Amino acid sequence: MSARALPLGAFLLAIGAGPAAAQLIAIRSVPISQSHQFDLFPSLRMGMGGVSIAVDDSLHDPFSNPAKGVRLGASSFFGSPGLYSVSRGAGAGRTLPLGTWLRSGNWFGGAAIAVQQIDLSHQANFFPPCAVCAQPLTQDALPGNPFPTQLPATDRSHGNAFGYAMLGRTVPALGLSVGASVEWAGLHGVDGVDLLYPRSAGLTQRGHELDLRLGALKQWEGGRALSTVLVHNRFAATHDVSDLDGFWDPGTQSFAQRLRLEENQDQTNTWGAQVEYSWPLRAPGWRLGWVATTNLMSHPKIPNYEIQNIPRDPGNSQAFNLGVGLSKTAEASTFALDAVYEPIWSYTWADAASPVQTSGGLTIPAGGKTIENRFRFANALLRMGFSQDLPFDQSTRQFGFQLGLAVHRIGYSLVQDDNVQATTRHAHESWVEWTPTWGMSLKFPGWELRYRGSVTNGTGRPGVFPNNVTVATPDAAGGTILVAPSGPLTMTGVRVMTHQVAISFPFRSGGTRP
Amino acid sequence: MRRLSLRLVLGLAALTACEQGGTPTDPPLQPTIDAQLRGLIGNWGVVPIGPMPVQNPAQVELGRALFFDKILSGNRDVACATCHDPSAALSDGRSLPVGTGGIGMPAARRLGPGRQFIPRSAPTLLNAGLGLYALFWDQRLNGNQGQFHVTPDEPIPLGLPNILSAQAMLPVLNRHEMRGEPGDVDVFGHPNELAQPGDQEAPAVWNAVMARLMAINQYVTMFNAAFPGEGRVGFDQAARALAAFQMQEFTKTRSPFDRYLERDDAALSLPEKRGALLFFGKAQCSTCHNGPFLGGQQLANVGAPQIGPGGTRQPPLDLGRGELDNNDFYQFAFRVAPLRNVELTAPYFHSGAFRTLDEVVHHYNDVTKSLSEYDPSRLDPDVRPLYRGDAGTVSAVLGTLDFRLRRSLGLTEAEMGDLVTFLKALTDPSARNLSAVIPASVPSGLPVSR
Repeated sequence: MSARALPLGAFLLAIGAGPAAAQLIAIRSVPISQSHQFDLFPSLRMGMGGVSIAVDDSLHDPFSNPAKGVRLGASSFFGSPGLYSVSRGAGAGRTLPLGTWLRSGNWFGGAAIAVQQIDLSHQANFFPPCAVCAQPLTQDALPGNPFPTQLPATDRSHGNAFGYAMLGRTVPALGLSVGASVEWAGLHGVDGVDLLYPRSAGLTQRGHELDLRLGALKQWEGGRALSTVLVHNRFAATHDVSDLDGFWDPGTQSFAQRLRLEENQDQTNTWGAQVEYSWPLRAPGWRLGWVATTNLMSHPKIPNYEIQNIPRDPGNSQAFNLGVGLSKTAEASTFALDAVYEPIWSYTWADAASPVQTSGGLTIPAGGKTIENRFRFANALLRMGFSQDLPFDQSTRQFGFQLGLAVHRIGYSLVQDDNVQATTRHAHESWVEWTPTWGMSLKFPGWELRYRGSVTNGTGRPGVFPNNVTVATPDAAGGTILVAPSGPLTMTGVRVMTHQVAISFPFRSGGTRP
Repeated sequence: MRRLSLRLVLGLAALTACEQGGTPTDPPLQPTIDAQLRGLIGNWGVVPIGPMPVQNPAQVELGRALFFDKILSGNRDVACATCHDPSAALSDGRSLPVGTGGIGMPAARRLGPGRQFIPRSAPTLLNAGLGLYALFWDQRLNGNQGQFHVTPDEPIPLGLPNILSAQAMLPVLNRHEMRGEPGDVDVFGHPNELAQPGDQEAPAVWNAVMARLMAINQYVTMFNAAFPGEGRVGFDQAARALAAFQMQEFTKTRSPFDRYLERDDAALSLPEKRGALLFFGKAQCSTCHNGPFLGGQQLANVGAPQIGPGGTRQPPLDLGRGELDNNDFYQFAFRVAPLRNVELTAPYFHSGAFRTLDEVVHHYNDVTKSLSEYDPSRLDPDVRPLYRGDAGTVSAVLGTLDFRLRRSLGLTEAEMGDLVTFLKALTDPSARNLSAVIPASVPSGLPVSR
């Protein structure tokens, strides 16, 4: 996909792929690349396309559902340094998570921290040079100039910090485990946010994400398992944007520029719940499962993106997914696939800042809705993967590899009512994203090393027509990004490459890892 | 498992094949009117106007006195304010101005014996100090940054700070406007000494004006205060003071549209925004009325009716810029007027042919029809006989009509109404009443009638 023009008025809502993307449903109306910035922690199955419904992922499941920490096995330290890069210089990031899992009797828990560096997109590679922006500031020469005279510093890179803690208890007699987790992220750089403001002179991000989870896992004899998790996610970020506005300076009788500072807030609150059930089939090694997820999202605040038509207005979304998964395990090999359907309804609107006269002669009062967007998504997600472990030293050492593919089809219809001009517009959009994945593992008696990688195709980064308008969007860290593009949107095709190495050291024996 | 994998892969391939082409099917969603409008505005170099720097107070007060003092005219009967009347948005409300020798107050001013109308309407001085590159209907004065040129040549002093001060050097040289004819006597019956120098002796005229001013102690004091340490007095200082006064008092750039340019979406009403969309789009107004001043930079033959005594090349026709450049391209071409506060500055065009914006917009919608069917009854009775509506004149004007106006714009009545509504949104409310700029008296003691 290169330079693909999208219909006007498209809407974008992206809920971040946090540590438990399966519980937070991503909603996107334009094929914006996802950088996996928030995919921090190790996983057994990400190399298999991310299959999860009919197979366990003992490394990653505790981050999704803290009750699944019961499957962790021995206490251990782990580290999972990773990096991603977006092609065409459209962004990059590096993350170092460190953590530990602890197991004591019927109690289990864990803690992790991570630091992350996010590089801004190299916009010069993406957008035509802005001739006006290249001119020097002259507002210093203006007497009584009310505008700041210094551009804020805009670093090429930004640092984020993450903290995670989990505590759970199991009741073996009942086969029941419960757990709770909290994750906090202090954010100064979210991948792609700078693309929201392509003509800005500077951007400072600050925000946080809080993710609270309460989970339960019931395991029966024979392998049946039912899990539930409740999620509350709060995302709030502020974008301090510096813009250079051109104006005519009567003092110098020439064109000049002045600095305008704008503070945009980006907030989303999400309540989510997920139920997952899996059971072994009669045929040896086969396992079947299903999952149902609901997310209720409110967007009390959205960023005021550059030249957009719905500034600072609220909305809400109801997102669901229904999935089935199948797996086959035979000795040291595993094959699994998931099929997920995601129906999503989103409703956003624009508030009138002051009374607005409509084309019909009516007046919309301040606070009334001037534009209403109704989205109906019907997304589909297919994942499949294969893994094989190969013992190479009398079974005490193993080499393993994984291959997988995830295909995400996103499609939606949009009805946009402009209550001011009394018009209604319809649009349909769909696209497909392909993510091949791969992985390798080395298991030794005292430690374990894993590598996984993926590359996502079929997405892009937004661009700008030289004389017109812009809309862009980043990934979101569990936050909501709501954009109604006000003009032609150009997507420049990119690939997102992700690599992660995870190493773990059990620091005392005990327990087993599936 | 192998078969299952194969089916899955085939299924995925089929799904992808369906989706590769993308499926935007319906017409694209329309951006909001603000998004459309801001996109269009951005194409035409229309930017907000920054604050006018505070001018030297002593120069402003000297300029104020000079602007309203009839002592600058040879016959001591007209001031700058006579034709640039604050009560008429710094024009005179007439199709064609009456210069020196006229009778009566501006609104009902009439020609005196042996006098003729000034050939072109008095342009407003609102925002004339913003830094326009050219002034006068034929753009005979142009330049910037201290380098100004007049066509035909006049010895504009070097070093004038802005075009408005260069402009202020010129009206006192014009016999019809301010200077008078040889043999004139002033309102007191004294000989008009400013009319004595020849038409090529501009410095002599300026010196004569300064001699009048320096005979009045209050002006001596005001010049010394306004230009301390310059060691001389000259009419260029008077011009600089006049410019400072106009820049200080006549800059009016806080219209709703200006607030809209500064990102206040609520500053314009929906009809105003619809009109703006037409202005920057279908109606093509912005192809000429663009840039920070919404005009003022270009020359165009917009098919304005020929009214007045005409120029010197082909009287009674007024060839506009064609009077100065022997070039068919400029025949009947006049300056594209800047449009801020245009609501207040009727009548419109160089000949003052139209009294309302509605008439102007209808004219632009079908220039050929408008010019051919022009009704001179809308003109002041004393100007009406000067209308040239014969077929030859109409044909000559249409012969060099701007190419953008040769076909009807096809605007509906509703669209033209919106366009007018938008044009009225270019009005700075503070420009509606300029009475505060008028001094109670002037140093010469002459009456401050306008």
